[in-house]
Amino acid sequence: MTALWHPVIRADWLVLRRTGSIAFVRILGAPALLLVCCAALACGEFYGDYGWCLAAGALLALGASHAIAYQRLLDAMTRWRFGWCGALPIARGAAARTLLLLAAAALMASLAFVTALLFGASTFAPHGRDLFYALVGIDLALVAGAAVAAIRVFRRGAFARVHHADGIREPLLALPWLDDPRLPHLLDWQRRSALVRWRRGGSFATVGIVLAAVPIGAPILEVAGLVLVVLSWSWLAVVMHASADAFAAAARLLAAMPWDARSARLASLRYPLVATSCALVFMAIGTALLRHGVVAAVWIACTGAASAWPLVRILRATRSPEPSA
Amino acid sequence: MTALLRVSSLRVVYGDTRVLDGVDLEIVHGEFVALIGPNGAGKTTLLHAIAGVAPLYGGHVDLDGHDLANAPRAAKQAIGLAIDPPNLPALLTGRECLALFAGARKLPAIPPATLALGEILSLTPVLDRRIDSYSLGMRQKLGIMLGLLGEPPLLLLDEPFNGLDPRSALAFKSHLVSLVARGNTSVLLATHSLDIAEHYATRVVLLMDGHVRRSWDAAELAAMRENPEHSLEKAMAEACGI
Repeated sequence: MTALWHPVIRADWLVLRRTGSIAFVRILGAPALLLVCCAALACGEFYGDYGWCLAAGALLALGASHAIAYQRLLDAMTRWRFGWCGALPIARGAAARTLLLLAAAALMASLAFVTALLFGASTFAPHGRDLFYALVGIDLALVAGAAVAAIRVFRRGAFARVHHADGIREPLLALPWLDDPRLPHLLDWQRRSALVRWRRGGSFATVGIVLAAVPIGAPILEVAGLVLVVLSWSWLAVVMHASADAFAAAARLLAAMPWDARSARLASLRYPLVATSCALVFMAIGTALLRHGVVAAVWIACTGAASAWPLVRILRATRSPEPSA
Repeated sequence: MTALLRVSSLRVVYGDTRVLDGVDLEIVHGEFVALIGPNGAGKTTLLHAIAGVAPLYGGHVDLDGHDLANAPRAAKQAIGLAIDPPNLPALLTGRECLALFAGARKLPAIPPATLALGEILSLTPVLDRRIDSYSLGMRQKLGIMLGLLGEPPLLLLDEPFNGLDPRSALAFKSHLVSLVARGNTSVLLATHSLDIAEHYATRVVLLMDGHVRRSWDAAELAAMRENPEHSLEKAMAEACGI
């Protein structure tokens, strides 16, 4: 009898339950935070123009929905096809059905979450009645982003293209002095991990999404500023997560080695700190191009701080004087 | 002679399972100890506990006079753990990975001895390729080189011959024997290959159900090699009650 669903889903669920609540927080935390940002942006008056706010919120929802759905679907599909269960006689349709069901469930949960948020906000928001448009805009953006991601993942040959492109390119501007001799090439590891994630999350498609969502007739400088800010912020978030994960992997790999915490901390923070500096420069330029730059700068500072939380994982991992113990 | 490794009353627990339950083991300089036992006996866990990558539930590990719990960095100077092939970083090249390990050992560069081992194992031509393009055998060779990098006094090797072609396996066995013969290096090798244990080890330890069930010293192993009626396989079967 052909199974209707992929059997690994049950194993994954058991693993998730045994891992505990932290695993659920890790899976649900980032999307929930992004949805809150979308809703806050759609409700805000940063530009004194409600259309702008709505467009920015919907745009963020579109990009986030696409990036998260694309990365998670591709990861699951790659794991199911090439992981430990890859040789099991499981119909391709079962895998596709299961993934689509999961994606649809995640999408429905996101829509319900945004609806609840905006209904809650409508009780005290200045544009209470207009929040219906924000709701429709964000919901449509979420559906569109997830749909485009699913189409891209299920296209024939998606694995081969991603695998082939994964981090093969070297940087145009090599900075060998940036590498820490105490843990050589940890920086390359972090940079390549970030590159792989960036490509899996949609990469420069974000530019197109940003431009597509800008209202007709918007001043060109404002559009340029918005593109700079959104791109820099999303890139910074990717770099931070990738750097923290690469360092965690390095710590596991070097667990039996006599390395010291201070060296590890200094080496592992180099790339994220340089990336933060670069992103802040671009964000500052972008903010300068926007009207109401002060308000935008505060918002960017908050989101930038939220993006930097993976650094805490690096600091915690290297807090003990001898991390390899 | 001072013990290079002293393990006493070692206990490791995974969930409700006692994987190691009171293991005692000593290794002195220049010993080649083979660790044998059935699947699930705790061989890999013992190596990981000695390397400090498996949490101890009880007991002590003392490496070259340093307690692993109290002075892990000093203790870990004495060991080299070969890395399992699936754990290697796919996004780095072999040479970059070696440089990372050299840096962690505070070495200014990849030691010439490690690069020479790469020549012996025929890995040099692919050292500048990314690890995700390596075959299982190439990854195994790189994992071995990482364990031997800096020539630490105690090598911890877990089934290092898996996936090696016969020529590389022979070359690596000869390399291990020559390292041990120099007297500076000791080896603790977990293996299911009784042939390797019988012919290359100076002592064989049988681990079963989390305990050291039996061990055979150099004289007993020499007797086995000389008498075709005896073999480590038979001795192990007797010890296991098969």
